[in-house]
Amino acid sequence: MSLFRKVLIANRGEIAVRVARTCRAMGIRTAAVYSEPDASALHVREADEAHAIGPAEAARSYLSIDAIVGAARRAQADAIHPGYGFLSQNGDFADAVAAAGIAFIGPPGPVHRLMGDKKGARRLMASSGVPVLPGYDGDAQDEATLTSQAGRIGWPVMIKPSRGGGGKGMRVVRQASHFADALAASRREARSAFGDDAMVLERFVERPRHVEVQVMADGAGTVLHLLERECSIQRRHQKVVEETPSPALSDAQRRALCEAGVAAARAAGYVNAGTVEFLLDPEGRFYFLEMNTRLQVEHPVTEAVTGFDLVRMQIEVAAGRPLAIAQGDLVARGHALEMRLYAEDPDRDDLPSPGRVLHLAAPEGPGVRFDSGIAAGSEVTVFYDPLLAKVVTWGRDRTESIQRMAVALERTVVLGVVTNLARLRAIAAHPAFVAGEMHTAFLDEHLREPKAPADPPPLARAAAQAALRLSSTNGRARAASPDPWSSIGPWRLGGTS
Amino acid sequence: MTDELLPPFTVEPAGPGTYVLVAGEERRVFHCVRDGSTIHLFWEGVAYRIEEQREGARPAHRRDQDGLEATMPGKVIAVKASPGQAVSKGDEVIVVEAMKMENALRAPRDGTIKTVAVKVGDMVGPGTVLVELE
Repeated sequence: MSLFRKVLIANRGEIAVRVARTCRAMGIRTAAVYSEPDASALHVREADEAHAIGPAEAARSYLSIDAIVGAARRAQADAIHPGYGFLSQNGDFADAVAAAGIAFIGPPGPVHRLMGDKKGARRLMASSGVPVLPGYDGDAQDEATLTSQAGRIGWPVMIKPSRGGGGKGMRVVRQASHFADALAASRREARSAFGDDAMVLERFVERPRHVEVQVMADGAGTVLHLLERECSIQRRHQKVVEETPSPALSDAQRRALCEAGVAAARAAGYVNAGTVEFLLDPEGRFYFLEMNTRLQVEHPVTEAVTGFDLVRMQIEVAAGRPLAIAQGDLVARGHALEMRLYAEDPDRDDLPSPGRVLHLAAPEGPGVRFDSGIAAGSEVTVFYDPLLAKVVTWGRDRTESIQRMAVALERTVVLGVVTNLARLRAIAAHPAFVAGEMHTAFLDEHLREPKAPADPPPLARAAAQAALRLSSTNGRARAASPDPWSSIGPWRLGGTS
Repeated sequence: MTDELLPPFTVEPAGPGTYVLVAGEERRVFHCVRDGSTIHLFWEGVAYRIEEQREGARPAHRRDQDGLEATMPGKVIAVKASPGQAVSKGDEVIVVEAMKMENALRAPRDGTIKTVAVKVGDMVGPGTVLVELE
């Protein structure tokens, strides 16, 4: 007897595919949802059934509570998994799902609202003994108040939307004269992405590391941590590389950090999977940043070292089961690394690059996991996040997981859309990364200069020309080499990915 | 071109978009697809995009100095200049949102705005002329 009969997955892309896999393994049927441009997307094909929920615009499809709950009713789903992003941290959504008599695989509405308000979350953590940065978390939000508070905190200051995540609307301001413009832009982005433009101000720490604690809590009040992850390599405040364990922490620091994570979850009355994010300063002190009340993009690295399936644990807790393990049972083995493959161009300011995936080859091998939301033929549209897939490697130690990553990235092929694959390879090979010396400005500091697009070697061009002649004539088993330049004229290199 | 330096080789198919180059004792897997006049090639861990150059094809960044073109599909969410207004190189002129991120398009040089061809809420695609400079 499975815990649920059918789970509706209120998401798209790689996370919807990944959640469906665990459901299948647990004997639970899955229902996907899709917007118009996603009708033939991979996540639709990976589910047992799929329901249309509206047009491309997320506000009228993946962000529409009515559309999602309506689809769950049509599908007769008895549970909804929200994935990450979209409605996953929306308390009203969790409430609406519960009110429809459907189990929400995540914390209940009030917990989302409590932690989703970064002002209130900061105040709660400070009063619960979890360290926070000097900052402003007041309710007065007029420009004059924020400006004077920023001056009090001291420059540089970080502006953060009180609601939201994923780095959207966050800005570092280094001098008073730039504050008004930055505040306006952050407010505009926050209104557009989260429908709320209240801001928190915090002292900006130069060259910080980002560490976070995975927590899991059941309905009976048991709160566990599943160790930490380090996610210091970011661009635009969004993570690119994640790993566990963090090479920055001593055992004593790790213990203190994980205990702070558990304390934060307890203070929040937390249930289900969550992540408590901390900033680690160059002196080794950590400060609460925010709590993500959902499954995290980078959860596979935790799965790789602990052996637990986090989606399975989420489903068990949502079905009312107590956690099957105690903190002392947790054993971590080795080191795991994740790199995010994005449809964006590192040489053009990380500009998102929509298009059609013409060819895809996934890496495989010992210790390699590839969580993908795309297949050959997939359209990457401008409407959604540009994350295509995640490459995850595990090794007995950090050296081995990095070596496996370097090989996996060489075996990952995406043609048709520009990706950040070359940058990921550069990170994996960078001496500072290999030495574990990361911080959130790593990419700006070490990999800022765009690489001039290298010409393909002459042999590569000739081989490509022969290959395409072969596929167009479609008859001969072999194309002979000969004069590759006779029919193609001059070539120009348009870009690399 | 130096094609006389290339070794003799043959190419064998090895699945959709995947081929094996055979040159003497050496065999090398590569990936390659054509999309119109663009050839996408994956060779030794690096992806290349090769455009066949056609007669009279217009350079990609013709307007670099004369104005601004959208570089990708997206929605205009802010227009910060109007015709007749003087701008300095680097000023934010238009903000386009795509994939939920704001992309600020900045003046390529000092000048005066001649025309603004879009308004807030317009959807634009690559090559759409947004602003012309005098």
